[in-house]
Amino acid sequence: MIGGLPLGFAQPLVLLGLLSLPVLWWLLRLIPPRPRRISFPPTRMLFDIVPKEETPARTPWWLTLLRLTLAGLVIIAAAGPLWNPPVATSSRAAPLAILIDDGWAAAAAWDARIRTADELIARAEADNRGVALVPLSETGRDISMQTPGAARVRLKQIKPKPHTLERGEALAPLGRFLAAAPDIELVWLSDGVDMGRGQEFIEALSRTIGSRPITVVEGGIAQPHALAAADNAAGALSVKVLRAQTGGSDTGIVHALDLKGLPLGDAPFAFKSDERETEAVLDLPVEIRNDVARLEIVSERSAGAVQLLDKRWRRRTVGVISGSSSDTAQPLLGSTFYLGRALNPFADVRLAEGAAPADAVARFLDQNLPMLILADVGNVAGEAHDRLTKWIDGGGVLVRFAGPRLAATDDDLVPVKLRRGGRILGGSLSWEQPQQLAGFARESPFNGMAVPNDVTVNRQVLAEPDSVLTERTWATLADGTPLVTAQRRGKGVIVLFHVTADTRWSDLPLSGAFVEMLKRLVSLAGSTIATETNTPGRREAVPATRVLDGFGAFEPPPATARPVPAGFTGRASADHPPGFYGPPEGLIAVNTLAPADRMAPLDVSALNARREVYRLGEPQDLRGPIFLGALLLLLADAMVVFWLAGGLVALGRRRRAVTASIAAAMLAACLLASPHAQAQALSPADDFAMKSSVQTKLAYVITGDAEVDAISKAGLQGLTLFLAQRTALEAGEPVGVDPARDELAFFPLIYWPVVPGAPKPPQIALTRIDAYMKQGGSILFDTRDAVDAPPGPGGEMRAPGMMTLRTILSALDIPELEPLPRDHVLTKTFFLLKDFPGRFSNGQLWVEATPADSEEEPSRPARAGDGVSSILITSNDLAGAWALRPDGQPMLPLMPGEARQREFAFRAGVNIVMYALTGNYKADQVHIPALLERLGQ
Amino acid sequence: MAVEPGLNDIETSAVKQATGGGRTLAATVPRLILEARRVAATVIHGLHGRRRAGPGENFWQYRRFSSGEPAARVDWRRSARDDHLYVREQEWEASHTVWIWPDRSPSMAFASALLPDSKLERALIVGFALAEVLVQGGERVGIPGLMRPTANRNIIEKMAEAILHDREERASLPPSFVPSPLAEIVMLSDLWAPIGDVHKTIAQLSAAGTHGHVVQIVDPAEETFPYSGRIEFVEPEGAGAITAGRAETWRSDYVARVARHRADIRAETDRLGWTFAVHRTDRPASELLLVLHSRMGAGPAGTGINRWHALGQTGGAA
Repeated sequence: MIGGLPLGFAQPLVLLGLLSLPVLWWLLRLIPPRPRRISFPPTRMLFDIVPKEETPARTPWWLTLLRLTLAGLVIIAAAGPLWNPPVATSSRAAPLAILIDDGWAAAAAWDARIRTADELIARAEADNRGVALVPLSETGRDISMQTPGAARVRLKQIKPKPHTLERGEALAPLGRFLAAAPDIELVWLSDGVDMGRGQEFIEALSRTIGSRPITVVEGGIAQPHALAAADNAAGALSVKVLRAQTGGSDTGIVHALDLKGLPLGDAPFAFKSDERETEAVLDLPVEIRNDVARLEIVSERSAGAVQLLDKRWRRRTVGVISGSSSDTAQPLLGSTFYLGRALNPFADVRLAEGAAPADAVARFLDQNLPMLILADVGNVAGEAHDRLTKWIDGGGVLVRFAGPRLAATDDDLVPVKLRRGGRILGGSLSWEQPQQLAGFARESPFNGMAVPNDVTVNRQVLAEPDSVLTERTWATLADGTPLVTAQRRGKGVIVLFHVTADTRWSDLPLSGAFVEMLKRLVSLAGSTIATETNTPGRREAVPATRVLDGFGAFEPPPATARPVPAGFTGRASADHPPGFYGPPEGLIAVNTLAPADRMAPLDVSALNARREVYRLGEPQDLRGPIFLGALLLLLADAMVVFWLAGGLVALGRRRRAVTASIAAAMLAACLLASPHAQAQALSPADDFAMKSSVQTKLAYVITGDAEVDAISKAGLQGLTLFLAQRTALEAGEPVGVDPARDELAFFPLIYWPVVPGAPKPPQIALTRIDAYMKQGGSILFDTRDAVDAPPGPGGEMRAPGMMTLRTILSALDIPELEPLPRDHVLTKTFFLLKDFPGRFSNGQLWVEATPADSEEEPSRPARAGDGVSSILITSNDLAGAWALRPDGQPMLPLMPGEARQREFAFRAGVNIVMYALTGNYKADQVHIPALLERLGQ
Repeated sequence: MAVEPGLNDIETSAVKQATGGGRTLAATVPRLILEARRVAATVIHGLHGRRRAGPGENFWQYRRFSSGEPAARVDWRRSARDDHLYVREQEWEASHTVWIWPDRSPSMAFASALLPDSKLERALIVGFALAEVLVQGGERVGIPGLMRPTANRNIIEKMAEAILHDREERASLPPSFVPSPLAEIVMLSDLWAPIGDVHKTIAQLSAAGTHGHVVQIVDPAEETFPYSGRIEFVEPEGAGAITAGRAETWRSDYVARVARHRADIRAETDRLGWTFAVHRTDRPASELLLVLHSRMGAGPAGTGINRWHALGQTGGAA
């Protein structure tokens, strides 16, 4: 570990080699660079010049620096640098005791701690040492030495505890263990947090371990944060964020959740560098704020980073001040009685008894109450008035009830301007009946309440009708006059009931709506833990409902969790794990940290221990990158020396050889660097496809008989030439194809000479041929044996070539064939032909059978199937007739040998090619006269 | 000294270039007719007449006897035909031998950066051009130790062949031989040999009274010494190397040393009546050729055959 960096060396002694760098520096300075060599004919003249006293040219400083860096890097790399080296132990023989802080403070970076412990165990396993795991929270069981394997299993079972660690309790078993095993080395995986009794523990530990070596592992990971002292004040919900170590600014976010775990809001916090505590303030509407049940630091998984809030943070204390002095005479008729009874189910009511309203207000404000009710208080005067105004601005909720006093005074602590005096309805001097409650304003907190029909109002104070009256009215009577008005001031609100809080002016205090209205008003108020005045406290115990585990997640309570007394406010312990206790309607939150708890760094200097930090990542061997850097520097040095020695000039002299070799090297590098370079060359199949598709080409099947293939090639060449001379088709060089290997789809027509006795093509070839024919290609089979056919009808069918063709075709899906009809379109595609002679003229051309003439359709000049015949069979050896020698003379003689026969053989070829290319277009041509006639031309 | 392997190639290419270059250059100067102050008594006869009166066997012309001439010159047979006295003149058939020595030592291959011509190339171009001009003028040209004097019309090819076929060691200075007293020697060399050797060579060659021209062909870099920094200077002919720690500080000393070297050479040539010229390869080759042309064509003596002959011609025409 070097200077706080997670860097270590496998062979630290090698670093002593760095001491040689000054010597190296001196040597490098001394040895000048190699001079440039220049061939200079008048050098003899220079011999006679007396050398001057000249300062020797020294190695430039940057070159020296470069070389020293290079040497330093090599030395450092030789020392085996490791990033994140594993935690080392001082000896390699003594058994190892691993003390683990497993309180909540360790939970945040638990994985790093476990990994460090695991590395230690692995190292102990390699050295054959025993291991004792000592979780400092588990004080009950005795410590025993284990094999590393067992210790590893045990380590997996250790979980952080949700409460604050009482380290001192582990000392006794540790002492017993150390007494039994005198030669032992200790490693303490500390969380670095002192919650109050750390120093005491350190001193005790120091005494307990005596002179045994101890290593304290601490730091290197994010330090734990904690939440404490949540405060639902009138203005906002605030919580203190704690940390143990000062230094460094540290920011984060506090997350607020309700009881069901739904997020309610966020509050950022930021530590200044010298702060150990800061505050996060959740600025939420009070209704939402009151639902907050849990605060947690985002991405900090520990029980300490969670604050649970129960109803004590939600139950408001309401101060009630009555302006009438006679209330005490008839307590059951006083407004305080109605208010107290209405408020008690959901609020703590504090009554101001026997005090002037101003004094009572001051006292309640001192007690930091969130809500005050002034029942028929005419005026609050003096300093109390100013404080009250400020308090309302700061979030206080002031509820006032009208009454004779209020009606008689001027007061600015009312939401609307009031008329002097009251209004009596249903009295003897009034025409009007007592009014009923008509409804609640939509934007008021009362929105959604059922409008009671049992409320009648006899008297009320009236508001001056002005423009703001409507929007400040929360509840109205049937005649439209306001019953409740309210005004927001600052963060607070003033609410005025235009009736009294007792039954003199209305029935309202007797109805259930009154309780509901007050409840909703109370929920407007912030909740402060009011300064306790008198809480006798019910001493009943409530059991745990949901508790936090060490990582701050809820879990069912363990069997060891004991009930807490209601009103428990202390910090959590092993017996009382943090969490919610009690029934759902009356949950009591027990938090890991008490409001007064503060975190402090643990000072382990008294231990005289070796210090280590936790490792965040896997150890990384840095030798490779450093050696690489050294190599790059070496290259740079070589380039520099080359350049200093006039390298480029020298290079220029040997330009040719060097250029060639450099080019070769770069070429090789390029080839090595891009294995795709070769892949970019076309594959043979692609090449074939490219060549075959750019130009229309005739194709013949390679039979393997060289003579036949040569004739086929020459024949198709001759036909191609004839086509170019006579027609618009200028086809490319004919191609020999092997159906088993080549794609056939590029060719409109394939000429297939059948060699007698040829074997059946392989299955893949047959599949391709079949596909080719189905996709519209035409194959011209030529058995070339018309002359060999036995005489007589059907003799052609028994010729040897035809027999071979039968075997070939037997595996194919061949349509019905017929001899070429006279009116077949093939006879008309280019030339008008009667027969299709080749070298022989007595063979018959077979084509796919065309549908016979139907009765309703008269016979047409040309008949065609719906497409091109996919198969043509002849035996006249067409290619033999087409074949030309290179000098243009025919290659083979004809039978019977008329000169016209060759011409007609070529014409037959032209017709066949045109037929294959144009299909039944020619057959459709017969309709053109009719079409033109129909078009009126 | 071992010939550097690449040197042959360098020389071959230089010869090839110089063959054409020399011819082109020669075409630009008028025929060089040597000042021939001592030719009158030469015993070497040229193969071809010089188309002018002079010592020779063939009849050239009769001219009128001018008073003051030795009476023995009168051709009495011709003079007997009329009243005048005639002198029979033969065609001048004597030719002059010029030894041209292009230094082909390794040091001549030096060419500083950005200069197309090496010193060797320049020496060959000028040598070839000079030879061509001389042969056109009827002189005989040879290369000491390499080619006997000849007046071949294809003198450039002859010289080039002789040079190309010579695979011997190339010396910086011409070999020791005894030229005819009437011959001329043109030394085209960088003359970086030790001053003692240069003196010795010049003294030997001039021992028989031969006239000569010494031309030092230098690269500009050899004069200005544009070097700085730590440089090891290597003598290409194997005489050693010297390392200058900071070459820029050597410049003034070097320039002074070169000046002294030249002064030594010039003193020797002046003493012997030879001429000495310095030619830099960044100057055009024609400049050197013109200098040589003028020096060889009109000697300081002023009593050359040409002038004499011109006088005689005037007299004959009169």
